[in-house]
Amino acid sequence: MVNFITFAREHWMNLLVPMGFVIGWYLDKQQDKKLTAFRNKSLLYSRELKPGEEVTWK
Amino acid sequence: MLKILIPTVMLIPTIWFTPKKWLWPSTLTHSLVIALFTLTWLTWPSETAWSNLNGLMATDPLSTPLLILTCWLLPLMILASQNHTTNDPINRQRMYISLLTSLQLFLILAFSATELIMFYIMFEATLIPTLLIITRWGNQTERLNAGTYFLFYTLAGSLPLLVALLMLQNKTGSLSMLTLQHSNPLNLIMLGDKLWWMGCLMAFLVKMPLYGVHLWLPKAHVEAPIAGSMILAAVLLKLGGYGMMRLMNILEPLSKQLSYPFMILALWGIIMTGLICLRQNDLKSLIAYSSVSHMGLVTTGILIQTPWGFTGALVLMIAHGLTSSALFCLANTNYERTHSRTMVLARGLQMVLPLMAMWWFTASLANMALPPLPNLMGELMIISSLFNWSPWTLTLTGLGTLITAAYSLYLFLTTQRGPLTNHLLHMEPSHSREHLIMTLHLIPLTLLIFKPELLWGWIF
Repeated sequence: MVNFITFAREHWMNLLVPMGFVIGWYLDKQQDKKLTAFRNKSLLYSRELKPGEEVTWK
Repeated sequence: MLKILIPTVMLIPTIWFTPKKWLWPSTLTHSLVIALFTLTWLTWPSETAWSNLNGLMATDPLSTPLLILTCWLLPLMILASQNHTTNDPINRQRMYISLLTSLQLFLILAFSATELIMFYIMFEATLIPTLLIITRWGNQTERLNAGTYFLFYTLAGSLPLLVALLMLQNKTGSLSMLTLQHSNPLNLIMLGDKLWWMGCLMAFLVKMPLYGVHLWLPKAHVEAPIAGSMILAAVLLKLGGYGMMRLMNILEPLSKQLSYPFMILALWGIIMTGLICLRQNDLKSLIAYSSVSHMGLVTTGILIQTPWGFTGALVLMIAHGLTSSALFCLANTNYERTHSRTMVLARGLQMVLPLMAMWWFTASLANMALPPLPNLMGELMIISSLFNWSPWTLTLTGLGTLITAAYSLYLFLTTQRGPLTNHLLHMEPSHSREHLIMTLHLIPLTLLIFKPELLWGWIF
């Protein structure tokens, strides 16, 4: 138990960078959603997807 | 984009909270992991080639290689600085690594900015950590003078750029790089327009540096500590090339006439700086002048504005970044042992450090563009596009290549061959850390030639 506390006290800061990665990845996803919110929604330009096509543009 | 940027920000508190004994291994590991994650940027799935978009940042085939080079350099700088900062107080060591990390942060923001003013701000912001690194961790009192040169040369060049960018904003209503390249050509006929053209390019020509406004560079390189020299040669000079490549397409109608004097100056600079290298006795100064010479070739490659010129410039920028950084690391291994940059004081090192001689050999060959390294590819592409423009340029570029070969040989022979001086007999053996740094420089360089499309920019 003492060993674990010592370990945690010495190494907790090593979690900051991985945590930053997770936060960054999440925020990137949110941005992607925001920037593609109106993809293929326009009445004038919307079209049916071709077979095997995921989205109209990336 | 943020998945690299936020970990880089988080690296700064990590540096300050890590216990003393873990400081260097922990920061090295984290920065290396961040660098490896940047390799995910090497795909451009979208039709416009811009990817990883968010509101302010994006990557494209031009910026991605430079971004990855920036992130790759941080672990290498940490590895290279470990030895000479060991005697510093711990907080000074932490400050040093924090400055290097902040430099990476500003450089990522500069290379990935999609807005010219944001690029400008980050371009200027990189001056602050670099200046602190040079003036605080340099070895001699001349570092203050070098810092002044560095700051004022760059600022004098870049303040007109701010005015030029604000004028462009007034004219076009936008400075977004995403749309600027599709906008109508500007009507540039007046004398003021020519001054505006100069204002747009001067900052980058000083940063490259162009022969004539290059005096800050050898001073900064000679006085900076190893990490400062590495990042300066590998990435900061490339900011100039990157900025020029971004702005060239809006300067279009004028560049055809106005770029002549700058191209001639850059070509002439290749020969002049090469000749300066041949009579240099300061090791770091030689490598710095060799950087000016190579960047002269990059400048002409960009100013000629052909697809081959642009691609060659990007390839040469990346290849030169890795090579010159490797050479500075080698110079530092000598400096840490002899405490002098004078070349004649550290000759005949092949006998004492034979494996190091192999690294010197490889790095010198890379510097003189040995096939099949990407250095050769970049140089050849630029030289052929210049030859296509005017066959007479071959006299200058050919002579430049010859001189490059000559001073590379001079560099290798002076440091490695010849009689061993007595004070070198009890030299410290080379560390595996130093071999690791060299391996991490030269392996990417060798691997890149197997897939050079990664460096081709918009062509691919």
